[in-house]
Amino acid sequence: MASTRQLKGRIRSVKNTKQITKAMQMVAASKMRRAQDATKASSDYTRSAQELLTHLAAQGATNGHPLFTDRPVKSRLLIVIAADKGLAGAYNTNVMKAYIQSLKSDDKEGVRNMTISVGRKASQFVSRIKDTEVIGTYNDLPDHPEGSEFYAILSTACDKFVEGTVDAVDVIFTRFVSSMTQTAEVQRILPAGFSAETVSEFVRDATYEPSVSVVLEGVARRMVGAQLFQALLDARASEHSMRMLAMKNATDNATELADDLTLEMNKARQAAITQELAEISGGAEAMNG
Amino acid sequence: MRLKLVTLSGTKFDEEIYEATIPTVDGEIAVFPDHEPLVTLAKGGVITVRKHKTASVDDDDFFAISGGVVEINPGEIKVLVDEADHGDDIVEAESQAALDRALSLRDEAKDQVELEKAHQLVDRHMVRLKVADLHRRRRRS
Repeated sequence: MASTRQLKGRIRSVKNTKQITKAMQMVAASKMRRAQDATKASSDYTRSAQELLTHLAAQGATNGHPLFTDRPVKSRLLIVIAADKGLAGAYNTNVMKAYIQSLKSDDKEGVRNMTISVGRKASQFVSRIKDTEVIGTYNDLPDHPEGSEFYAILSTACDKFVEGTVDAVDVIFTRFVSSMTQTAEVQRILPAGFSAETVSEFVRDATYEPSVSVVLEGVARRMVGAQLFQALLDARASEHSMRMLAMKNATDNATELADDLTLEMNKARQAAITQELAEISGGAEAMNG
Repeated sequence: MRLKLVTLSGTKFDEEIYEATIPTVDGEIAVFPDHEPLVTLAKGGVITVRKHKTASVDDDDFFAISGGVVEINPGEIKVLVDEADHGDDIVEAESQAALDRALSLRDEAKDQVELEKAHQLVDRHMVRLKVADLHRRRRRS
């Protein structure tokens, strides 16, 4: 049995670790709440935008628009969104798994691909892969990605698609379903697709000013942007909630381990006392005898 | 008639109103209840909102918006924009400082891209400053 002193040291270190994981759990929890609100806030915009696009498409206005051209996919651009930091459970691994799967299926079908990585972990990963061309890496994006990085990603994606270098743009990210469920997903953002969302009949009868095509021109890029934005927010919310869960598990494990070690230490101490008593009484017995 | 200002960072305004004046690419339009369904593009500018038919001009609300889409349905105006700020939320001094910075950026721009960016910034802060100004005047009267 380990000595009391050794056990004491181990208990102390486990408790220290527990304090750290506990703090990280709290931080992740508060960040998650904020990220979750942000996802909800922008979903209103995305939904309205989607509805408008669906309608424009139904009118045939999107035919021939560069962002909507459906070509046979010979090469595609993958935008991989992962975290800047680790310690978030399977968050990064899941995204990378989905990414590798896409690469493999591309390989099989003879599709060339390019990659833009978002987040330090994603960048490290893609830089080690040989059969893809990395055209951009973006690290340390802020929690609310409104700035120039976001527009840089968006315009790279749109430009590559419009000039025909790629025939499709997919985003690989983690969808935030609820604080308990997050799934790594591949979502196509270009050619601008449409969900089967039903259009309210008023939008259908509306007049378009100055004209349908001008409205479309103004709307299209924005809508594609909204989808990308939503993906970034979802990824962020997922990251924080997965980190929170991972840290909660770590804290629970640390508590359990500390309990076990304390028990063991008490046993060791008791054993030492018993032994000492036995020795004393043994000695007294010998003197009397 | 309901006016909804929807941005990527959330719905900024969602209330019953009587009249809204919206800057569009074809010029400013004023929308009253029972306007015909219309979809058009908004450009950066000031949205003026009057809540009741009888309300005085002094009680108008002002919003600084960036470009976006306006969707007018019976009983509802939906404005999808990148940015919308109520006059209350704009601090005049801050906007002035931001405008000055943007102006100096414009003067120092080295290439077309920088110039374009600076122009956008200037326009944006001009609008915000205008809203702040309108808002202040209203309160004083």
